[in-house]
Amino acid sequence: MIAQLDAIHQDAQAAIEDARDDAALEEFRIRFLGKKGALTQAAAGMRNVSKEDKPAVGQKLNEVRKALTGFVEARSAELLALKDADAAKGVDVTLPGRRPQQAALHPLTQVMHRGISALRQMGFTLAAGPEVETEFHCFDALNTPEDHPARNEKDTFYFADGHLLRTHTSSVQVRTMETTKPPVRIIAPGSAYRRDEIDSTHLSVFSQMEGLYVAEDVSLGDLKGTLERLFRAIFGPKTPVRFRPHFFPFTEPSFEIDIKLQPKGQEPRWIEIAGCGMVDPSVFSQICESRGDDVYDPDKVTGFAFGLGLERLAMIMWGIPDIRLLIENDQRFLRQFASA
Amino acid sequence: MNTSLNWLQDHIDLSDYSTDTLSDLLTFAGVEVEGVQARGAVVDHVVVGQIKSSDPHPGADRLSVCQVDDGSGTLRQIVCGAKNYKVDDKVPVALPGAVLPGDFKIKEGKLRGVDSNGMMCSGRELQLTEDHDGLLILKTEAATGMPIGELFESDTLLELEITPNRPDCLSHLGIARELAALAKRPLKGVAHHGATTVIQQAAKPEEITLDATESCAFYTARRISGVTVGPSPDWLKSKLEAIGLRPINNIVDITNYVLFEMGQPLHAFDVAKLDGGIRVRLANDGEKFAALDGDEYALQTNDLVIADQSKVVAIGGVMGGEDSGVTDGTTDLLLESAYFTPSHIRRISRRLDLSSDSSYRFERGIDPAQTVGASELATKLILEIAGGEAEDVLLVAGEVPAPPSPVTLDHGRAQRLLGVDLTEAEMGEILTGLGLESQGDGAWKVPTFRGDLERHVDLVEEIARVYGIDKIPAREVASFAEPSKEDARYDATHQLRQRLVDLGYDDCLTIKLISDAQLGDDLCSLRLGRQTQAVPLKKPLSQDHTTLRPSVIPGLLDVAERNIRQGATSLKFFEIGTVFSKHEKSPKVLESQQLGIVLSGDMANPSWHGDAPGADLYDLIGLCEALFGGGKQAVSMRRLEQESLLAAAEILLGKTVIGRLGQVIPARAREMDCQGPLYVAEIDLGKAIKPSAPAEPVTDLPKFPAITRDIALEVPADMENAEVANFFSKRNDVLLVGFKMFDLFADPTGEKLPVDRKSVAYTLTYRSNDRTLKSEEIDKAHAKVLAALPKLGDVRQR
Repeated sequence: MIAQLDAIHQDAQAAIEDARDDAALEEFRIRFLGKKGALTQAAAGMRNVSKEDKPAVGQKLNEVRKALTGFVEARSAELLALKDADAAKGVDVTLPGRRPQQAALHPLTQVMHRGISALRQMGFTLAAGPEVETEFHCFDALNTPEDHPARNEKDTFYFADGHLLRTHTSSVQVRTMETTKPPVRIIAPGSAYRRDEIDSTHLSVFSQMEGLYVAEDVSLGDLKGTLERLFRAIFGPKTPVRFRPHFFPFTEPSFEIDIKLQPKGQEPRWIEIAGCGMVDPSVFSQICESRGDDVYDPDKVTGFAFGLGLERLAMIMWGIPDIRLLIENDQRFLRQFASA
Repeated sequence: MNTSLNWLQDHIDLSDYSTDTLSDLLTFAGVEVEGVQARGAVVDHVVVGQIKSSDPHPGADRLSVCQVDDGSGTLRQIVCGAKNYKVDDKVPVALPGAVLPGDFKIKEGKLRGVDSNGMMCSGRELQLTEDHDGLLILKTEAATGMPIGELFESDTLLELEITPNRPDCLSHLGIARELAALAKRPLKGVAHHGATTVIQQAAKPEEITLDATESCAFYTARRISGVTVGPSPDWLKSKLEAIGLRPINNIVDITNYVLFEMGQPLHAFDVAKLDGGIRVRLANDGEKFAALDGDEYALQTNDLVIADQSKVVAIGGVMGGEDSGVTDGTTDLLLESAYFTPSHIRRISRRLDLSSDSSYRFERGIDPAQTVGASELATKLILEIAGGEAEDVLLVAGEVPAPPSPVTLDHGRAQRLLGVDLTEAEMGEILTGLGLESQGDGAWKVPTFRGDLERHVDLVEEIARVYGIDKIPAREVASFAEPSKEDARYDATHQLRQRLVDLGYDDCLTIKLISDAQLGDDLCSLRLGRQTQAVPLKKPLSQDHTTLRPSVIPGLLDVAERNIRQGATSLKFFEIGTVFSKHEKSPKVLESQQLGIVLSGDMANPSWHGDAPGADLYDLIGLCEALFGGGKQAVSMRRLEQESLLAAAEILLGKTVIGRLGQVIPARAREMDCQGPLYVAEIDLGKAIKPSAPAEPVTDLPKFPAITRDIALEVPADMENAEVANFFSKRNDVLLVGFKMFDLFADPTGEKLPVDRKSVAYTLTYRSNDRTLKSEEIDKAHAKVLAALPKLGDVRQR
């Protein structure tokens, strides 16, 4: 009996080599393990084995069955692996993939977000105000005399009731101080409006970002530290930044800020990028009058303010040649900012 | 302001400064150098030539062919287009090889077939003068062949931007004074700016009456008789030409010279054209005035005029009259030097849209103390140059405005504002350099030309800019910040933008002003109710931008149209921005943040795998559901009738309408050349996002299996799905935990279903939280649902 089982084992070992496809493997299974298979029939012979031989023969039977089943499983796995390999045969990994549609944040959104992120890290929070403003918030409270050139209907959009479209986001400074006690440290990104014909460098509606920091003993050194860091955050940590004295009605001393950049294929040059200054005491006085208290007493608090044009920032950053590209929203233009 | 370096050197020695150093010195003290031009003929190969003959060009009427003596011994033939010369005139000749300003290379060549071996030049071509009307005619004494550089002194022209607070810098003396303070060196002290010597005599009423002291505080006049009007001497001409002014005659040139020398505008009247004494008065309403610029101006009652006994002869401080000025025949002059009030000049200059070198200075504020000195300097020059005799006395009316009040500098406060440890002495040195005088105890006397220094902070500014902002150390100190509502709003909005971008929608920004045509579009006013209106501008700049947008949709449709023209096949655009409206009964403009979406065409990138699916209404509905329905409240749609939309819906978040969407009527889409259906949505973000909503606790995962049963219902074709869904959501069997639609079937042929019927199929999910359900329990619950079906109306289970 044992010899018979060994013979079956040997036969199977030879036969499995020839089972090269599913049908042959099935044939193999039937021949050895099927109901009338060689092993099944041999197992039936257990009845006739003597009691003392039974454990040894039983063990042998199990061994052989396990081996034969193993043959089938191994060959089956091999055949599957061959099929799998076949299925992937001829797959050209260099064919183009199926890409998800990838759109882009508008360059102005991106440049604004960079500025906001940098300033938030320095402890600024966001503030907002209406775009349709009063003359008080846009001009009077910002120390802009009634006969200032900006305050006429040629340069500023007015409404029939005397309201106007804010000419700068600086009006948010006023609104914030009216409702918030110092210290304040805010940034206000948003739209501003000027009655300019639209051309390659002008828009009638454009984006600005305003900043204001008021507390006790805010100094010119704070202004420098904050703005140098801001522009280095946007344009790179080694960007040279310089301040030029200038004049604005609502700050004193006032400065324009230049950064030194190297436009593609050109010599490095200084590019004007923002205006800033220490808040003029007359602005604080106006706020005190408006609030009816003296928490912004110019003898007690000082502060700085700054404003920058976001279109200009974006144009400089990406070398955008015409400001109108920023309002046309041509997909071919926008998609260039997809990975930016 | 155009500033001549040579002229500046009349007042201060700058010979050791390079142009770059000088530019930086001024720029970093707040006087920005916007441009630098080398003046004077520093050009090689340009010589004095004499025109020996001039004949018409055979092939061109406007050209002449000249033979020019360039000193070489042979005549040079040059074709020329100018007309202002005569034979024997001497002119600059650029020889072949010369390179004129602007990198203009001169070569031998032919002009309309005639040889031309060089070029005769205008003043502007050589950057000697502004004159471009014809050739620059040189003095007859100039030697033929002499390099032109020997004839014209070289100079540097600085174009300075003077900020409105610094009128004292609007003259060469003023800039020199500024440089003296910055470079810490003395002024030369020009003789004619010394103490005044003329006797001032109060004018008699018949000489001068001053009736408007609010607009003109101080008025002086000097009578000079027997002058000879004629061309100015070369030194004077070249001074004016150096800063781009065209010499006119000796009297006018002298007044211009004094203006650019000292910053005091003057005016010379021809006494013969005056009817009696001068009256400084307010205009009569409707009074007309013919000004020097050739225009006539209608005056109003609060306009200040200079008049004689019968007529207006000047708009005070702005412009003289056509009929009273100095001409070649003038012999007797009345020389005006006055102080006009800045606010008055600003107002009238703006109203008349009339500006001059005079008004530019008066409206910013001149030094009131120099009125007499400037008159004396001009008088002295007139007598020297034009002859004649001046009266001994200067007629004056009114009073010189008071000098600026002293200002106190608080050293500690100044230090704190600057953030730098400057000593009191260092600050004092800077102020002294600027012409201020210490009066002790921190008080500083301000010079008359610095009326802008009124407050403590004004002194601090002077110290900052002279000390140099680059030397002030940057400080980096921050403090904790309380996030604001605006922070939360911004973050939520930015996250929304990012999600849309990740889903393939492009972030757009369009102009917030729209045209009347766009406003008239029904699509633009989905949001406006019967009582809500758009907000028009009072004075639009163009027909394209007349009104503040009440919606972002019109701008986005323009974006779609532009991109269709460019061949885009997947139109997925959104804009988030402010929209404006107002209630018809209130002037208050309401501003809110709106999201607009435009969708059409491919929903995936085109690929070799096959065509991308085209967008349909359910892509847009699904997008809105996904963007805003994340929280406890679900997003649902409610049918809306809208003229410009097919299949329109209101978007609801819970029970609140947050926006609208729909398919743009196809006729409109076709007008835009849009290839497939075009969809739009607008959502009021103020209602749709709650930036500071508290975190919602998570739901436990189910512990026991769920069993589903499908159900198909035959319902009337016009029954909205919302009705069916509502039926299921109202079943309050605890075991029924969910329902989901999975199929919709209708048969337009009527074979499988009548045409007025449709089949909707739902999967119902049953589950218990505390046990595995037995099939009898589910059967019972499901039977209850089926039994309730008649409540849904004309419904049959299939």
